[in-house]
Amino acid sequence: MSDVNDTKHDAQSSSAVTRRDFLQALMGGAGAAAAIAAFEAIAGDPSSLLSPEATPVPSAAQPLSSAGEGGRVDVLERMRVELKRALQKPASERRWVMVIDLRKCVGCHACTISCVAENKLPPGVVYRPVLEEEWGEYPNVSRRFVPRPCMQCDNPPCTPVCPVDATFKNEEGIVEVNYEQCIGCRACLTACPYGARTSDFGLTYTEDLPVADGLIVGREKADDYERVPNFEYGRQYAREGHKSPIGNARKCHFCTHRLRVGELPACVTSCIGRATLFGDANDPDSLVSEMIAQPNVMRLKEELGTEPRVYYLV
Amino acid sequence: MLSEKRLKQILYGIAILAIILGVYGFYSRLLFGERDVNYGSYVNWGLWVAMYLFFAGMAAGSYMIATCDYLFHLSLFKGTGKYALWGSVVTLPAALIFIGFDLGHMERVWKVYLNPSFSSLLAQLVWSYTLFLIVIFLSVWAVYKENWDLLKPVMIIGLVLSIFVSGGVGALLGVNASRATLHTAMLPAQFPILNLSSGVALMIVMVCFFNVVGDEQQRRRLIRLLSSLLSILIVIKAYFLWVDYSQALYSGVPEAVDAVNLVLFGPYGWAFWILQIALGMVFPLIVFVQNDTIKNQFLFGAASVFVLIGLAVGRTAIIFPALAIPELEGLAEAFTGPHLNFDYVPSLMEWSVTCGIVGLSILSFLIGIDYINFLKKPAGRS
Repeated sequence: MSDVNDTKHDAQSSSAVTRRDFLQALMGGAGAAAAIAAFEAIAGDPSSLLSPEATPVPSAAQPLSSAGEGGRVDVLERMRVELKRALQKPASERRWVMVIDLRKCVGCHACTISCVAENKLPPGVVYRPVLEEEWGEYPNVSRRFVPRPCMQCDNPPCTPVCPVDATFKNEEGIVEVNYEQCIGCRACLTACPYGARTSDFGLTYTEDLPVADGLIVGREKADDYERVPNFEYGRQYAREGHKSPIGNARKCHFCTHRLRVGELPACVTSCIGRATLFGDANDPDSLVSEMIAQPNVMRLKEELGTEPRVYYLV
Repeated sequence: MLSEKRLKQILYGIAILAIILGVYGFYSRLLFGERDVNYGSYVNWGLWVAMYLFFAGMAAGSYMIATCDYLFHLSLFKGTGKYALWGSVVTLPAALIFIGFDLGHMERVWKVYLNPSFSSLLAQLVWSYTLFLIVIFLSVWAVYKENWDLLKPVMIIGLVLSIFVSGGVGALLGVNASRATLHTAMLPAQFPILNLSSGVALMIVMVCFFNVVGDEQQRRRLIRLLSSLLSILIVIKAYFLWVDYSQALYSGVPEAVDAVNLVLFGPYGWAFWILQIALGMVFPLIVFVQNDTIKNQFLFGAASVFVLIGLAVGRTAIIFPALAIPELEGLAEAFTGPHLNFDYVPSLMEWSVTCGIVGLSILSFLIGIDYINFLKKPAGRS
């Protein structure tokens, strides 16, 4: 445990080493050794970022604040700890929400791509596109990026239209799709006010590539990546023939399979601006609880009464 | 003018050609799924859904006409009911094939029977259409066996079902609160009227083109009655269009305005103005109100065919524009890829399947009136 704490301390203190410190050390003649030391301090131990299981779980009585003793805590680290804490509660007592700070989103689309990679999404299927808005006239022009995952509505229009109950809200409030039950009628796509569902038409990115056996390019090698099963909803789905999820409606599920093992959704961990926050809104000490209490919070199409669980900070 | 025999030869040829054209589509759909369709995740219902609405509507409307003979015993309709029923027999399966092909997993349709969610309008419709199909076949059987005691209750159930499935389809679309153009209580109210129009038009086609009414005087009087009824229904349809579009335009809701503009002035504006309005409504009205043209029954039949084409185009105008408006600004450009498009043009494969199913439907109708004994004997000669 002590090693873990040391690692955590390194990570927390990393942000205390400023760019100026780094440059001073470099320019001041401390030489390469100092530079390397400073760089290591900045980088910290990456394993702490990738292994949430190694992170201690504080009790709710000892919440982590955004400003720890040794300096600022990366919100990613804080959310991971809070996630572990939430997982100790019964599922029905958790209320997963996502908060997207539009002021921090730089439109890098890393979340879109990480989602595609995490869920092995084929061409034409997207869970989290980033919408770009541009308005005004030169010189008063503004641009905004709006990531749009599934809103995981508390009053979802997409679930009651399903003729076979293939899509439903699970006990954590995430709207799931039972791929084996879905008949592919796409009524849920019509019902969704956010265009958050896409249909899997059975395409692959590599199908039109020339065969180049033995090389690292070409269909023979490249499509290995596409054939690897994903783990949506905690099950393995390989792309074979016309088996599900081909022919099904698909959507963002807050990376349910990752949450179950204590990992944050892929879009959250990949956000370079820390613009996407995730956590349990039933935990009053969680970061997301703090954020959705802000006056500058809004949700998309609130007038429809869908009660989205995705909040935007504007 | 064409003789009935010559017309049938031409129609047999068209039907067989359409089926041949459909082979590619059937092959592609059954072996490779929906890879070659052009509808997608945004315009998620395409040509097949529109054709399903049209053919199912024709089946329901035709059944309504059949009740004029077998339930309400209107003397002018005597002997025509069996043909109206046959019209339902050949159109409802066509509609169900269309919608079956549109399913991502059509092999799982049994789940709607064993694991239905009855709060879903779609599940209610699947059950209702199944029941309606059974009722149609039961009606035909009762007529064939001349079991009039059975026919009456069956026709009552069938009439109720024909109205329910018509309105249900409208409701299926209308409950989508997020689609401004669909979310109107007018939609479920319109569909039974539109479907009745289909049924009346189909009956006029049968009476004018084929020898389904042997008595010349009855035939003329029936054509006059049906064409007058269809004229009224066309005017009502025009009123519906006015209500739909004026409400949308006056409301100023961007999504609704955009959708209406797409219908009226979009890339397929010509389909609305030429096929739906000019040929599907104005031309038939002119033909029907010219009393002397009753002497030219072929023209009445042709005008009714155009009414049917206009109604089919009308179904596309209900479905496509409502789905072709992005739910969120910038969604169309946010992530591009196959099947992520708000501009929908049916693919060759979709047209191929459509040709095939239409061909099968026409062929079934012709075979019925040519080779099934109780249909070979026209009305008015008993």
